[in-house]
Amino acid sequence: MSTTAQHTLPERAPGSGRRNAGLARVDWRRVAIVLGAYFGCLILFGAVVALKGASPTGVYNSLIHSALLGDGSLSEVIVRAVPIALAALAVSVPAKAGLVNVGGEGQLIVGAIAASGIGVFISGGLPGPVGWVLMAVGGMAAGALWAGIPAVLRTGLSANEAVTTLLMNFVANDLMLYLIYQPWKDPTGGGQPQSSPLPGGDVLPSILGSTINLAAVVALVVAIGVWGLLKRTGFGFALRVVGGNQKAAHRAGLPVNRLMVSSMLVGGALAGLGGMLNLAGSQIQLVPGGTATYGYIGFLAAFLGRHDPLKVVLAALVFSAIAIGNSGLELNYGLDGSVVDVLLALLVVAPLWLSRNRKEAF
Amino acid sequence: MNGLQQALAGGVESGTVILFPALGELIGERAGIVNLGSEGCMLAGALAAYALTAETGSPVLGVFVGAAAGALIGMAHAYLVVRRRADQLASGLVMWFLAVGLTAVLGAAFVSRTATPLEVVKIPLLGSIPGLGPILFDHDPLVYLGYALVPLVWWILFRTRAGLVLRATGERPEVVAVAGRRPELIQIAAVSIGAALAGVGGAQLSVGYVDNWFDDMTNGYGFVAVAVVLFAAWRPLWVLFGSYLFGVALASASVLQAHGVAVNQYLLDALPYLVTIVVLVAVARRGSNQAPEGVTRALTNTS
Repeated sequence: MSTTAQHTLPERAPGSGRRNAGLARVDWRRVAIVLGAYFGCLILFGAVVALKGASPTGVYNSLIHSALLGDGSLSEVIVRAVPIALAALAVSVPAKAGLVNVGGEGQLIVGAIAASGIGVFISGGLPGPVGWVLMAVGGMAAGALWAGIPAVLRTGLSANEAVTTLLMNFVANDLMLYLIYQPWKDPTGGGQPQSSPLPGGDVLPSILGSTINLAAVVALVVAIGVWGLLKRTGFGFALRVVGGNQKAAHRAGLPVNRLMVSSMLVGGALAGLGGMLNLAGSQIQLVPGGTATYGYIGFLAAFLGRHDPLKVVLAALVFSAIAIGNSGLELNYGLDGSVVDVLLALLVVAPLWLSRNRKEAF
Repeated sequence: MNGLQQALAGGVESGTVILFPALGELIGERAGIVNLGSEGCMLAGALAAYALTAETGSPVLGVFVGAAAGALIGMAHAYLVVRRRADQLASGLVMWFLAVGLTAVLGAAFVSRTATPLEVVKIPLLGSIPGLGPILFDHDPLVYLGYALVPLVWWILFRTRAGLVLRATGERPEVVAVAGRRPELIQIAAVSIGAALAGVGGAQLSVGYVDNWFDDMTNGYGFVAVAVVLFAAWRPLWVLFGSYLFGVALASASVLQAHGVAVNQYLLDALPYLVTIVVLVAVARRGSNQAPEGVTRALTNTS
């Protein structure tokens, strides 16, 4: 297969390559279909905002401005991408083993809860790095627990994990609301439902004088680690075997159930870490809606990036760039901030629509 | 009414919010298509019903438009999944996201608007039965429609030719095609009808139970409906029990609070979801081998 063709058609199935092996040219029809699909989604979104009386070109200008051109917008994109990317990787690792983790949102939340508890009540007097590590470990353990429950229910009792992880999100959210309305309520918060802010030493420092903080570095390292884990280790290979054919994996002597549970534990730990980084890097305290549906956006990013860690992180950056556009649209166009959810969803509708022409998607 | 009666009556009323989308999900899944977008269909139905009711003063018209709004989202999901072979779970979640965004934008004008809710109709003789009457026969019309719909769905699915074809589509679409039917059309129709019912469930929420519209008001009920179908092992009567069980858990929270039980509201709010998970787990093993083939494929094969 020529390099040009490979570049345009990254997902070509092994069989179909041979048929086109002689073609050294780009298949413009396919490129047109893919671009057309994404462009169609942008038009649809334009129609939605026009329906509410906002100018589509103005809205797109505002989105581009907040994502790329504004003051410090790029670093803002990176900061927001941290929880999205980690929640997305939390979907991708179990997906390799054939499991569907829709619980990223809840795992982010319990990660943040654990980190907040450790930061506020335990690590206050400790030097920064010790506190960070404690919070990270606590967040990961909480996330792993939250994902581990549905995993064990799946392997032990055949309860469908897509549904149980989803329901666990609502339990996590109620748990957080309970904590910030009662026992963990900030006594200096003027009655607002929020936890006490993390002590200064526990807040992750920014790097290179920008607003990007240590969280982004940690997330990047972890993402590369996940890539290595999935592509370069026996564990990653075993997960793919289990995901490919459970019965074959079982006959080959692989501990199928243990692998499935550990993939969810790893996934949950990743999202839990995402919740901790989001808290210690930017939120500082638990507030209602502090995770801002990053868990669900992460699920979409994982789908768009086809569970390939590096593509998933890229998708998370794109989604983060769109998600931060909400305040601009709210201020300048009077649109509800959730309007960006429409654009996010439409950008995933495009590859869904293209599923039939699998090779063209993304 | 004492506390128990209140909880049970409230359970029937709020359980109806789950019953409609759960019956709809059952129809779609029997045809082999999972619709996680039920949540989105409910949200669209809730807003459309409330908006129409606020504008026209007719909650009945609102319910119909709510059904249409739900069906619209369901059709989009069905088209992507059936005609474009999209991943069912991803497509469902995307439809939910789409609905969250659209209803927030379009619904902003209706937050804090008032609308006449569906009228409570006390059924003459039955409503006066001591004990039972207030629990079962003193509600808005959609609750009664729910009572009628459960046996109707059962009858259509298990006693008519159309139902047989629908169930066959969920198991072996290729056989249905050989028999001269069009499985793709059947699936799209089943999902759309199911989504319309989810829209009615949303309407029951906004113009029946809560009598209000606010962002994201369905609060995961559509996902609960999907869970209810799983633990009901795709049987209509069990869907009814499951929905009312969730409804009772939901209603107990507010009843307990009204009686001054000092438990935090948010811990009580988590109760219905926990109940759903526990029941799902308790019966999962028995149910999983009764799943329509298409559903088994959709739920287990997505990497």
